[in-house]
Amino acid sequence: MVGAVLSLGFLAVLVVALLGLPGDRAPLPAVARQALEMSLPVWHSTEPVNVVVYGVRGFDTFGETFLLLAAVVGVILLARTREPRAGFVGEEEAAGPEQRAEDPGAEGHQEATGQGGEGNEEGTARTAERAEQTGDGGRREAPLTPDDEPLGTPAPERAQGMSVVVRGGIRTAAPLLAVMGLYLVAWGYSPGGGFPGGAVLLGVVLLVYAALGYGAISRVIRPGLLEPLELAGALAICALGLVGLAVAGAFWANWLPVAPAQTIRSGGIVQAFSVAELVEVSTGLTLAVFGLLGMRHDWTPDPDDGDGDGNGNGDNHRGGSGGGR
Amino acid sequence: MIHVNYVAAAALFCVGLYAVLTRRNLLRMVMGLSLMESSTYLLLVSMAYRRGSTAPVLLDPPPGKTASQLAAGNVADPVLQNFCITAVVIGVAVTAVFLAVVVRIAQHHRTLDADEVRAMGG
Repeated sequence: MVGAVLSLGFLAVLVVALLGLPGDRAPLPAVARQALEMSLPVWHSTEPVNVVVYGVRGFDTFGETFLLLAAVVGVILLARTREPRAGFVGEEEAAGPEQRAEDPGAEGHQEATGQGGEGNEEGTARTAERAEQTGDGGRREAPLTPDDEPLGTPAPERAQGMSVVVRGGIRTAAPLLAVMGLYLVAWGYSPGGGFPGGAVLLGVVLLVYAALGYGAISRVIRPGLLEPLELAGALAICALGLVGLAVAGAFWANWLPVAPAQTIRSGGIVQAFSVAELVEVSTGLTLAVFGLLGMRHDWTPDPDDGDGDGNGNGDNHRGGSGGGR
Repeated sequence: MIHVNYVAAAALFCVGLYAVLTRRNLLRMVMGLSLMESSTYLLLVSMAYRRGSTAPVLLDPPPGKTASQLAAGNVADPVLQNFCITAVVIGVAVTAVFLAVVVRIAQHHRTLDADEVRAMGG
């Protein structure tokens, strides 16, 4: 009730304020006219929006990029698990060291049988168990890629197989989309467009992930590769500005030779800034999305386990099973 | 009539505000915030529009117009379109952080109800 009253009151204030804004017949503001007038003669770019984003208001774009970087760092910190891991969605990777210390036979029965003694017994038990599991057909091992999935069988729950139509379609569409994203950056009406290009590349990655599973992209989409790449993009943006400060006397002043308009190098620093932005945005968005997708374990142990080994943790604010206070 | 867009943006903003103020589910509060962000995109793009204007691209002006005429005012405002790009990126960043926090709260407290999450003093 209070929320409705507050919202309606705010709506009234907003409507009164917004109706006072200049309408669609008002002349362009002086800032916009200046951006339009200087984009072609000064920056040799036919696209004033790019000139505003990466040229005239480069400092603003710098702040925005580093806000995105800060958000990605925040998501990574929040999504971090205790266990070291090489990939984002690695179920078997999480708690791997502990598992190995606890149960060396889990490494695979070949090693276990080689060790002899207790490991041997355990290894044979494991093999028997595995044979039993594959025998009843309910929980068999997931194949390496969904393409190895036999047609017409229920897919294992870990990797729900997409149909061959979806996989083939995305195999065709993904390279085209990736080229289109890069084209947006290299060559639209004029160079520029790192943000949409980065978003398109994220879309390609997510399409491949949805159709073919994490195994298909796990070589490329892993924290150890993406995090340095993103920081390299951020460093390149800083370096562009600092060189401008040293050479041309202002942060993000243009110091590259300006090629004629409608060529791939027109705009000078705008193009370089845009490419660095592409690296930063595509890796940053991918890191954030896969950080969220791969979030698996809480820091605090589950109180419902009832093991008693983690219930003394002071971080756990949940009292009792009802939780009502 | 561009004022319709302004009113629509205000209404969208207030729908988001209402959701943030009255919902107890944290995910719905994040959705309300996303609605509020979207209303700013609509407002910025609408404010950039001029009657009969073209996109602010200086290549190939429409027939009967010269590039200098475009610069004199018959294009959309490039500065406000730039603000819209900025708002989109910041909206994505904020939503990502909020979603990460909500997932952790859900794992930690086993609930998405904002009233039951007392640890943050909310």
